[in-house]
Amino acid sequence: MSDPALLATIALVAPAAAALLLALVPPLRHRGAPAAFVCIAGTLVSFGAAIGLLVGRAPGAEEVRVVVPWLQAGGRTIAEVGVLVDGISSVMLAVVTLVALCVQVFSVGYMHDETRRGYGRYFAYHALFLFSMNLLVVAPNLLQFFAGWELVGLASYLLIGFYFAKPSAARAAVKAFWMTKLADMGFLVALLVLFVTTGSFEWTAVPTTAVATAVTLLLFLGVMGKSAQFPLHVWLPDAMEGPTPVSALLHAATMVAAGVFLVVRAHPLFELAPTTGDVMLWVGAVTAAFAACLALVQTDIKKVLAYSTCSQLGYMVAALGAGSAFAGFFHLGTHAFFKALLFLAAGSVIHAVHSNDLADMGGLRRKIPLTAATFGIGALSLAGVPGLAGFFSKDLVLTQVEGRAGWIPWALLMASAFLTAFYMGRVFIKAFLGAPSAKAEHAHEPGLAMTGPLVLLAVPSVIAGLFGGTLAHFVGAEYHTHFGLTPILASAMALGGLAMAGLVFGRGREVALMRTLRSLDSGSVVDRSWEFLYRRVMLGVSGVLGWFDRYVIDGLMNLTGYATLESGSAVRTLQTGRVRDYALAVVVGAILLSLFGVLR
Amino acid sequence: MTHLLSIIVAAPAIAAAILLLLPNSARTGVRVVSLLGALISLAGSIAVAWTYDRAAGGLQRVEDYPLVPPLGIHLRLAVDGWGVPLLLLTGIIIVTGVLASWSVAKRDKDYFVLLLVLVAGVFGVFVSQDLFVFFLFYEIAVLPMYLLIGIWGASHEVPAAGPFRFVWKRFAVGGKEYAAMKLTLMLLVGSAAILVAMFLLWKEAGATTFDLGVLEATKFSRTTQMIAFPLVWLGFGSLAGVFPFHTWSPDGHASAPTAVSMLHAGVLMKLGAFGVMRIGMVLLPDAAVAWAPVVGTVAVINILYGALCAASQKDLKYIVAYSSVSHMGVVMLGAATLTTTGWNGAVYQMFAHGIMTGLFFALVGIVYERAHTRTIAKMGGFAHTMPVVAAFFTLACLSSLGLPGTAGFIAEFLVFLGSAQGAHAWWAVPGVIGAFVTAVYVLRACKTIFWGPPPKEEFAHLADVQRTEWGAPLVLGTALILFGVWPRFLLDFIDLTSTAFLGRIPTIS
Repeated sequence: MSDPALLATIALVAPAAAALLLALVPPLRHRGAPAAFVCIAGTLVSFGAAIGLLVGRAPGAEEVRVVVPWLQAGGRTIAEVGVLVDGISSVMLAVVTLVALCVQVFSVGYMHDETRRGYGRYFAYHALFLFSMNLLVVAPNLLQFFAGWELVGLASYLLIGFYFAKPSAARAAVKAFWMTKLADMGFLVALLVLFVTTGSFEWTAVPTTAVATAVTLLLFLGVMGKSAQFPLHVWLPDAMEGPTPVSALLHAATMVAAGVFLVVRAHPLFELAPTTGDVMLWVGAVTAAFAACLALVQTDIKKVLAYSTCSQLGYMVAALGAGSAFAGFFHLGTHAFFKALLFLAAGSVIHAVHSNDLADMGGLRRKIPLTAATFGIGALSLAGVPGLAGFFSKDLVLTQVEGRAGWIPWALLMASAFLTAFYMGRVFIKAFLGAPSAKAEHAHEPGLAMTGPLVLLAVPSVIAGLFGGTLAHFVGAEYHTHFGLTPILASAMALGGLAMAGLVFGRGREVALMRTLRSLDSGSVVDRSWEFLYRRVMLGVSGVLGWFDRYVIDGLMNLTGYATLESGSAVRTLQTGRVRDYALAVVVGAILLSLFGVLR
Repeated sequence: MTHLLSIIVAAPAIAAAILLLLPNSARTGVRVVSLLGALISLAGSIAVAWTYDRAAGGLQRVEDYPLVPPLGIHLRLAVDGWGVPLLLLTGIIIVTGVLASWSVAKRDKDYFVLLLVLVAGVFGVFVSQDLFVFFLFYEIAVLPMYLLIGIWGASHEVPAAGPFRFVWKRFAVGGKEYAAMKLTLMLLVGSAAILVAMFLLWKEAGATTFDLGVLEATKFSRTTQMIAFPLVWLGFGSLAGVFPFHTWSPDGHASAPTAVSMLHAGVLMKLGAFGVMRIGMVLLPDAAVAWAPVVGTVAVINILYGALCAASQKDLKYIVAYSSVSHMGVVMLGAATLTTTGWNGAVYQMFAHGIMTGLFFALVGIVYERAHTRTIAKMGGFAHTMPVVAAFFTLACLSSLGLPGTAGFIAEFLVFLGSAQGAHAWWAVPGVIGAFVTAVYVLRACKTIFWGPPPKEEFAHLADVQRTEWGAPLVLGTALILFGVWPRFLLDFIDLTSTAFLGRIPTIS
């Protein structure tokens, strides 16, 4: 059982089988609990296979690629499907299946109050998601990656809209699908351009610089949608309408990071296009700073984390733009653990107080100490406190952008590091310290299904940073820890941000900046612009065209019918049926004919 | 079975003849006989696909019976790689269509007779290798529609407006009789054009035969080709919903009863596109190259214009009808690329769209039968009471917007790829945008109808899918996914014929 291709196939097929089983055998789904069992069993098998791959793989070993023909034209295969196993895909597979496993187990407890059917449906969607995500991770070419990419979008749509009875959830689901689909037009066109110029969808395709620039820019458009980069980020905060474990898995740890993974995967292509790199550097840095600002003023605990995800994705994108695929990938990995942990811990909080609002929390450290501790670990790791996972990867990102584009992106990211620590401090203080609110009085720690995953995820959130060297060795990259301006400054930012948060929020105060930001957030210019484009421009044009088709194009058809009928009526009056009229016509005709004869 | 193709074509016709002998009161008998006729054709189609020799390719199962020997008219049947998927499509749609018609109450015997006659014509077109018989079957397929819509259809009001509002005083726009008449007249004008082109070709080929094989071997003069091609394109194209001759489709499909919409949008519109490709492009290769820019540009208009019009509709059936106009544009775009990839995509889209729109109309029929409204704004929260309908409707939406894993993706992707490879690479861009607009209008409709709080009092007790209603969603839904995950089931056939036919098209230098 050490054949890598076989293991990868198992990792792919197990969740697919679970999803199919749940779709095709309604009783399983309708009874709830069996659905959870089937789904988690599939994930467990998938996780086992991923671990098998990781363990059985020597660092720097050859990649294994097994494909079958899928599409053809002119008797030639133009696209294949299959699996590609190398360092990057085995690490990613392990991260994805581990987080998925934790989240699904957590969900068993979290979704307990759902109706049985809802419970079943929830796990069916989860199985579909894991299959799609794995499909993308092991994709041997860009086309299969795109298939997985769109399918995770579908899973995201279904899971955000899980509470479909809620109009806000329904809207958020559709919005997420549309925004990512809008960006995916870029991805699709990139596929077309790549195929037409190089004749394949392979990761290793080598086009000219001009083509590479076009393709990577188009691909990056797709990345901006999926990884919620400014100004296409607007769907991610709304996506928090989904159940909290979903936010943890899809909208923090894995799916949104697929964009980053794409760039890591297609790195040979991106290396050919320095222009795209510059664009990514700027977009990433701006997103990181912008989202960090908005995270500061959210009152909903999940929205803080959502904007924080946007911001951290900005770090990854900036690192990729600076040309360091490894830094982006490393941060992707550590972020997956600590952000999933934060979301699940937030889920535990929400479960305890039945509210998302920070105002309903407070003083929870006594009521739910384990949750508080694990949330704290996640927050410190995210803030980048030296020694924890987030510190190492964030430091690497910052080091990579040093000196780029006149140090401005670096400065933006450094400022964001401060803000990150500041807003995480704020959330922790508001939720866990201080006096308990009315709703927080009856909070209690959840069962093992929920606390287990928290503890499990807390471990890598602390130590994952120490494995940077191992990871680099495994995927064939370079990594050294070093000492210099950036790590010192970054540590100062993290600690300073936390201290500042303690000073400000610990005493129940606010900074003036926040009022400005809050008004900015409620105005949400970006969101309104999209709304305008959709309602006024697109639906406006569509309304005009609809009218035009109905009354002008079809009107012309009707006019043709009308003209035929009218001319028929006009000619019909000649045929009166009265003998005297016909006799008159005969006489007149005869006279005209004879006149004609005479005059000629 | 050497006469398999004859059996496929004849089975529905014979079933129709048997129905005529049954008393009107034999309601179950009528349905069972219809279903049997349809099932025989479907089984035959599957057998044809199964036994088609992919190594040999080309025309297979040739049957030849002289019909009017002095004029060289033969009933010549055979199947090629394009015929196989289209036979399968027709078989699947008619079986599910009969199941979806189970509850027809008014003059049900007559209804089933017409439905079966119509489908016999469709099968005939896909296997005819004689131009005259091809045309004959085409007319058999088109004409019953007039009665089916005029008698069993549903009327709706279209308020008088626009620059031509004065025509409302001559006829009630929106009535079922109006819709039936408009559809028939527009298609008959198309037929007249085809007839002219047909005799033009027949004459130049020596006035001795209508055999498509012989016509293919004839090198028509450039003038003849240039005149005949637009006649064939617009003649057949009017049935494929080519802009601006698509306006029969929204009214026709909205007025038609469920199974008729399924057959019409699912199969009949494909006859049009098939005609353009099989007769226009294959017989007239030089004109195909010369006219391709026009055909492709109009197709692009179809895609975008159809999608945007669909986004403005308030009536569910109109949305689906306009989406057909948009999706048939994808077929025509694939055809206009004159690349194997594009042609494969075009034929694949005929199949994928047929299944998808069949599913749409079947589900819309179920919803309409219960809610008695098609206005989406009045609906909401239906997923609470009819989860199965909601699930399958979502699936149809996903295929419609070209989600990977559904048949729609394979078709659209191949067409866009073909466009990018062809002489007019930019065609792919409006195509891709059209797919996005589709995502907007289908998901919005889906959200409005099925999501939201539990439905109001009047819709609180709508039943989910029951008994024979299961047929269409199950069969069509499975097909959408099956042929989306493993396209080679069909692509292996299609590619053989596309490659062979494309060899006839002169390369553009």
